[in-house]
Amino acid sequence: MIDNLGIVDTKKIIAAIHESYGLDLSDYTLSILKRRFAHVMSFYNIGLVDEFVSHIKRNNIEYEDFLDQLMIDTTEIFRDPSLWRELREKYLPEIAHSSGSKIWLAGESSGDELFSLMVVMSELGLSKNIRIAASCPSKNRLKRIKTGYGYDLKKMEIGEANYTRLSGKFEFNRFYKMDGNFALMNPELLDDVEFDNTNISQEKVNKSYRMILFRNMMIQYNLPLYEKVARKLIDNLVVGGYLILGNMESLEYSEIGKKMQLVNEAEKIYRKRID
Amino acid sequence: MSDYKAVIIGGSAGSFQVVTRIVSSLPANYPLSVILCLHRLKHIRSGFVEALSIKAAMPIVEPMDKEPIKTGKIYLAPANYHLYVELGNKFALSTEDAVNHSRPSIDLSFFSAAYNYKKKLVGIVLSGANKDGALGLKSVKENGGLTIVQDPNECQVPTMTLACMNATNVDHVYSTQRIIDFLLTLE
Repeated sequence: MIDNLGIVDTKKIIAAIHESYGLDLSDYTLSILKRRFAHVMSFYNIGLVDEFVSHIKRNNIEYEDFLDQLMIDTTEIFRDPSLWRELREKYLPEIAHSSGSKIWLAGESSGDELFSLMVVMSELGLSKNIRIAASCPSKNRLKRIKTGYGYDLKKMEIGEANYTRLSGKFEFNRFYKMDGNFALMNPELLDDVEFDNTNISQEKVNKSYRMILFRNMMIQYNLPLYEKVARKLIDNLVVGGYLILGNMESLEYSEIGKKMQLVNEAEKIYRKRID
Repeated sequence: MSDYKAVIIGGSAGSFQVVTRIVSSLPANYPLSVILCLHRLKHIRSGFVEALSIKAAMPIVEPMDKEPIKTGKIYLAPANYHLYVELGNKFALSTEDAVNHSRPSIDLSFFSAAYNYKKKLVGIVLSGANKDGALGLKSVKENGGLTIVQDPNECQVPTMTLACMNATNVDHVYSTQRIIDFLLTLE
């Protein structure tokens, strides 16, 4: 894998992607894009940047296959157990009180956040009280998520350790079954979830949610796009609704962030202020 | 004034005491940015900064994503994220897969720092039990920066520094005290 693509090459690839696929990555974090492009090149066994660019321009790589490889697996089921504990003990019971509460997972890539949430919801017996929507820009990935995704064993071990840390109510293994070397999460967990392929960085959304989970997604964006996405997220929240970012992300570099109050600093839970 | 803008230090098993000595030797008004990428337990988010800060005069922080990089501060890569130096003199964090079984990965932090600081970077690799950091230090060298490893004879676990010496022609092999003396000459 190429360790260090230069900026000139990275920008060449960004331009080709925009031209061929209509996907605008020009405001994405360069450090991350460099690594992702190197990953896609190595996946397709492409050694040279010019060769990669010409493959993209000639549409030799299908858009959906390309997007599938480009996206980052969001690392862990129950990443940051302390957040999931907070959600289970405080925030989810609270929002279940209001009728018609809806939660949006605005950027799913590998189902980690979604399965974590649905396990916690099933512990609380709230699956019927709160509606869940999940957006995953990649059709291939969404298809895998709907059938339980298929995680490697290492990932399941980490997920299980995290579940133990948040003092999960059940045995973790009741939520998945093995299929060869991979673990499929139980797709029944997702029975009531509404799915779509929205890419929030590129499309308009007009909904009203009581909670939005968007952890470790802002890290992909440069400041202008980060501001734009923050605005969309906040616009789609009801007053008093919650936005949850990754624990090392923040709204402090955005203008629109002033509309939000940080109610849990360690877990980066923000609440929408009354205007 | 020194020609260097930043110092990046990578360490793993056996490096904690060495890092503690280094950071506690730097004065409060140290004119460079110091970036630490140390292997750490990924599910333990707090406590590390506090432990390193006990004797340090410089402020030590775990940078948030998009945080501007300032001089006179020590930055520690947070648990369970990769830490990059991003264009525009700020940090970027990432949750991509572990590299060399590590997140944060020393190689990834060093690559991005080397690319952005070029010859204005000092890269230092300390004691450690794997090879993470070797390609990173090589990249510092290739981008014109200065490369230093802790003397393998002094390292509790010399695997990492030896891997660096195999990967590139390291500029200096120094004891902890000499690393400190050198960093103080950059004031």
